[in-house]
Amino acid sequence: MLLRKLVFTTLVLAAPTALAQDYTGWLDKDADWAASKARLQAFGEQFDSALSMYDFLYRQARGGDSLTWEQMQQPAYDWRGIYTRTGGGLSFDPDIRANETTAQLTPEGAAVRQTKIDRILETGGEYDPISDCRPPGFPRWATEPFLHEFIVTPDQTWLINEMVNDIRRVYTDGSAHTLPEDAYASANGDTIGFWQDGMLVTHTMYLLSGQYQRGTQPDYSDQVEVVERWKKVDGITLEADYWVFDPVNLAEPWYSRQSWTELDNDDNYLRLRYWDCRENQNNDILQKDDGTSQFLDFDFVDDDAAASSDNEIQ
Amino acid sequence: MKRLLMAALALSSFLFPLASAHHSAAMFDFTTTVELAGKVKEFQYTNPHSWLLVDVTNEDGSVTTWGFEAEGPSTLMRAGIRKNDLPPGTVITIRGNPMKDGRSAAAWIDAVVDGETINPRNGFAVIPAND
Repeated sequence: MLLRKLVFTTLVLAAPTALAQDYTGWLDKDADWAASKARLQAFGEQFDSALSMYDFLYRQARGGDSLTWEQMQQPAYDWRGIYTRTGGGLSFDPDIRANETTAQLTPEGAAVRQTKIDRILETGGEYDPISDCRPPGFPRWATEPFLHEFIVTPDQTWLINEMVNDIRRVYTDGSAHTLPEDAYASANGDTIGFWQDGMLVTHTMYLLSGQYQRGTQPDYSDQVEVVERWKKVDGITLEADYWVFDPVNLAEPWYSRQSWTELDNDDNYLRLRYWDCRENQNNDILQKDDGTSQFLDFDFVDDDAAASSDNEIQ
Repeated sequence: MKRLLMAALALSSFLFPLASAHHSAAMFDFTTTVELAGKVKEFQYTNPHSWLLVDVTNEDGSVTTWGFEAEGPSTLMRAGIRKNDLPPGTVITIRGNPMKDGRSAAAWIDAVVDGETINPRNGFAVIPAND
């Protein structure tokens, strides 16, 4: 078992990488952000895969830093507090509007997106799988609003969204990814990472297909993999570089800078609360034949079928 | 001022998903607004969505219960709306975007209680902690 793990780790770390890549460290989101963003996009485009990019970053960091519990009080690792996404709405890239994308799509990816656009234009709506409390999945996870908590320990970092009690675990104890023969695709996949000078670098794989967001945002395939670099840039702001690789839908890796802001919570009323669609009958959502959404039975309407003009309710 | 400005900017970026961040809002008619006066019957303060049930007396004396959908407790708390703020019997004037199918439900826009306007959609404003 140990031998298999070592072999897989060696294979991962020896994955082919482009030669002589230019390393691009953390760039602040300042007045020169457009130029910095272009550099970060170009940095990602040097790599054939997320794994080769992660391998390069890992070697560049010489395997990363070993953290101790004493360091957890330092500002770089103290991520305590209640956060929410800083902005971006339903756009995966927060710099643009929800009906736009900065992704360089393959013809297949563009066709899928166009199908979504056409369907919305035709029906005026859509159905979102999260309506019945299924997880949004990753990388869509980054776009979800609501409350977040981030728990940093020397060996693991937990990235938590209130919505559907959604926790991503980042293993920073030196573990390799789950072995391929043991792996299976899941909503949040399998994430490993390391620390470098207060920056958390991660790689995620074994993911399910999904959409970056509903509306006109693109889809991703089950071959999607993601490299992230997280950093606490000031006392209340966490930012993360995202490079998404998806050979099916993306012609080039898709770079974006995600951000979360610690919320004012002086009275301590804000906290992450359990999330279960069955808590309230009035939250039952039906997927209609035309691909849009409808409420099922309300507990405050005596005869929903009689009161509704909707064929699917009747 | 900086915090207020940031909140306003953040709120403006969320105008669309405010309709419903958890499910498609296809069932609501956002071209129409209903305004109703009544009394709170029940505040279902739940995830993923809360429902404020309001009894409205019709012209013929009958009573219709309307449901107004909002986000869950954490977002309502960020808007300053707590469960105990709207106990049963509270007199309320409330606005919403109604259902397309004619049932007595709506996406909650805002309400007036005791002369004070409350807006559940303010819950998506990002009010940052003190740095």
